[in-house]
Amino acid sequence: MRFSAYLKDRLPAIIIFVVSLLLSLIFLRAYHVITEALAVLCVILTAGAFSVFFWDYLRKKPFYDKLQNCINELDQKYLISEMVTSPDFLEGRILADVLKDCDHSMCDNVALHRREAAEFREYIEMWVHEVKLPVGGLQLMCHNDGNSKYSEQLKRIDDYIENVLYYARSRNAEKDYIIKKTSLKRAFIDTAIRYREELQERGITLSTENLDMDIMTDAKWLGFIFSQLMGNSMKYEATEITVTAEETPDSISLHFRDNGIGIPESDLPYIFEKSFTGENGRTHTRSTGMGLYIVSMLCQKLGHSVSAKSVQGEYTEIIISFGKNDFLDVQ
Amino acid sequence: MKKILIIEDDNVLSEELCTLLRNSGYEASRVTDFETTADQMRASDADLFLLDINLPFTSGETLLQEFRKTSDKPVIMLTSRTTEIDEVLSMSYGADDYITKPYNPTILLLRVSAVLKRLERSGSAKVMYHDAEVSGVKGTLTRNGNEMILTKNEMIIFQLLLDRRGEIVTRDDLMTTLWDNNEFVNDNALSVNVSRLRGKLAELGFEDAIETRKKQGYVLR
Repeated sequence: MRFSAYLKDRLPAIIIFVVSLLLSLIFLRAYHVITEALAVLCVILTAGAFSVFFWDYLRKKPFYDKLQNCINELDQKYLISEMVTSPDFLEGRILADVLKDCDHSMCDNVALHRREAAEFREYIEMWVHEVKLPVGGLQLMCHNDGNSKYSEQLKRIDDYIENVLYYARSRNAEKDYIIKKTSLKRAFIDTAIRYREELQERGITLSTENLDMDIMTDAKWLGFIFSQLMGNSMKYEATEITVTAEETPDSISLHFRDNGIGIPESDLPYIFEKSFTGENGRTHTRSTGMGLYIVSMLCQKLGHSVSAKSVQGEYTEIIISFGKNDFLDVQ
Repeated sequence: MKKILIIEDDNVLSEELCTLLRNSGYEASRVTDFETTADQMRASDADLFLLDINLPFTSGETLLQEFRKTSDKPVIMLTSRTTEIDEVLSMSYGADDYITKPYNPTILLLRVSAVLKRLERSGSAKVMYHDAEVSGVKGTLTRNGNEMILTKNEMIIFQLLLDRRGEIVTRDDLMTTLWDNNEFVNDNALSVNVSRLRGKLAELGFEDAIETRKKQGYVLR
């Protein structure tokens, strides 16, 4: 708070003072008060008024300066009320109290929404487990009746259900995974079998190389990541999927490569963003823009990194890097 | 015939599981009254138990813990929960395997037969096909001193047919088993492998050992 700004804010008060001073001078002059006395009166009153303003300014300046500094420096601006100490002047106290009340009510509100969101997520998770029963029942019925026509659609339903589950979970995944030594090969084979019929129907050949490695991850989540990548390859007209792993001194990276339609260079930086469907999303209607977003979120939570390389019309390669854990060798 | 007891509270699911297992040559029965599940498990003479985790009255994990105090018969846990925690817990309570819903029927059958076989193997002798010795480790078939080397794919196919000798094994099952062993073959490759296997068996003197049932699968005689 600058003094000039402060004075400018008090301009009406100053004008009133000056006008009343002038009026008093004219009034006193009419009673023939001598000029010297008027001059002294003028000086005393002006000095008094100025002192009042200056004193008031000095009292308020530290409080408002601190307030402004805090708000500029705070990451989470709403924490400002925690930083404010109640000052010794009325306006400041009112402001501090209002801020505190405001903050309090916002906290209540946020807590309410958090609770609602958590409840909703829990409900979704429960629902997913419940709906898996009839899906499982139907799948067995199809198998027992030897009818594969329906099981394909069931498989799709099951995939979408999985998607919901992992999306709901990826939000607070911390509670829900166990990072342990996992066979890369086993995780991939399990996913491959799930998609076997679909892959064969589309005439996609699968090959793996060098997958005989153990990594530190959560097997189920990794399985889900694989299924998303495989789903994408199928969606985008691949005929060959090659999965290889590569070991460097401090990481293991997995290359999931297909020869599908590829991703335009301009879209490549955005494919892991939520709801981004890009050019391929417009030409292939089944895109929701959620698959890769969930993949990248899961990778982030698991501490892996994910990236993509692609040449349109030639190939798409998704690379997942698993950090190596020294404890792995100690065991 | 191996006996399997299904402990699953969803009626439709357990009935279908029963049908699936019966179709695959097991003697399957199921628990319908869940108030006395623990007693029924103890009294049962089944060779294998399929145990759901979410059950009325008590959880599958508790049941398993109780059951393990008196018996070490194989138990496979079934569940719709998909958290790793459940898997680790069940395994630590002594489950032999763990399958999540919705199950892939072929995988379920594979796991069941794998668990049963693991148990048998502990005391069993050589695996024989007629008078030929089958060695999965060496990947060979030996008859009268004639050793025939089978490729990995051929061995996998032969072993599955041998496990279910006399029954129809569908191409689908063969394919799933091959994929489960990291051999991602396609339809044509499977046909080629089966006909090569036929040729090798014929060379050992087993003519027409593998019979094709049109649109159903293969039978090993």
